[in-house]
Amino acid sequence: MSVGHVQRAFEAAGIPTVGIYIRAFEHVPHNMGVSRALITDHPMGRPVGAPGDIDRQRSIVRAALELLPGSTSQQIVRYPHPYRPMDVIVGAQRRETSRNPTDTAPGS
Amino acid sequence: MTDSVDPAPPPETFQAFKDSFFYGSRSNLDFKFLADLSETEAGEFFTGLLTELSQTINDGDGSRLVDLARVWQQRAYTAHLDAKTAFRYDDIPFTALDKPLSGARIALVTSSGHFVAGDDPQPLGVANMSQAEAEARVGEFLRAQPTLSTIPIGTPSDQLVVRHGGYPTDAARLDHNVVLPLQPLRDLATMAVIGELAPRAYSFVGATSQLRLRDTIAADWAATLQADAVDAVLLVPV
Repeated sequence: MSVGHVQRAFEAAGIPTVGIYIRAFEHVPHNMGVSRALITDHPMGRPVGAPGDIDRQRSIVRAALELLPGSTSQQIVRYPHPYRPMDVIVGAQRRETSRNPTDTAPGS
Repeated sequence: MTDSVDPAPPPETFQAFKDSFFYGSRSNLDFKFLADLSETEAGEFFTGLLTELSQTINDGDGSRLVDLARVWQQRAYTAHLDAKTAFRYDDIPFTALDKPLSGARIALVTSSGHFVAGDDPQPLGVANMSQAEAEARVGEFLRAQPTLSTIPIGTPSDQLVVRHGGYPTDAARLDHNVVLPLQPLRDLATMAVIGELAPRAYSFVGATSQLRLRDTIAADWAATLQADAVDAVLLVPV
């Protein structure tokens, strides 16, 4: 709710804004009359992406900012990709390594 | 003579157990939503968690656990918080951006509770407040006035501090960009997607007095951003 109030005040003062809200709080921009919101399907505390996932973070920030130019009325848009914890990337590699121990493993 | 042995404490109820994750003896802000679930729903959550965990023991894939936590979090907040939302407005204040993004000066404001090391806003008059104390005193934060911390955009990540009693901050400690996306914004400026990044970002603790924020403080902050000559602001709530 805090950012909803800040976003409304900034818009009223003539500053265009866009917020990145998680799906659990999607009702906030709707209820509070927020100008522009990108909704991410992320858990609380990770609205912009998983720790270490700079590519996804950059994509989400860009998607949010691209709601700014050209819009003349409220826009609340869902980011299309699901949450991607880094384990999806590095965990798969780790599991592959554990299934196929390399020649650096002790005793090999 | 009466028996001097203390009677055993009554067994903990399931209601008390699930509620203890909400700022109680088992406080865990990732799972504080358990207090918003009925006992039946919470039972469904734990049963599902263990069922999925069994699968993870087989294949090592933890992503299904992440999905389960995320979906239940959404279910709890959507069903319960939406109904409790006190602030509803029919109007939509709106300002158009009158230039392309590639020519715009963009600022970042978050409610993540970040500040630069050495610039502690000292909430509730306490210096060096711990995350645990912020969680324990979140009720006092909700009645207090927020402080806007200034964060120069080039601040190295090891100089950033986060403290907020209302959301799980562990991910932000691993990587501040998950709630304070300075690096993504710097990258987008380098890529010329945005014209430039404003020299200062700002952060405050979103668990704060909504009336004070709405009625006086937010307008003051708008003036602060206007003094930075920003064209638009990216906001990140937590």
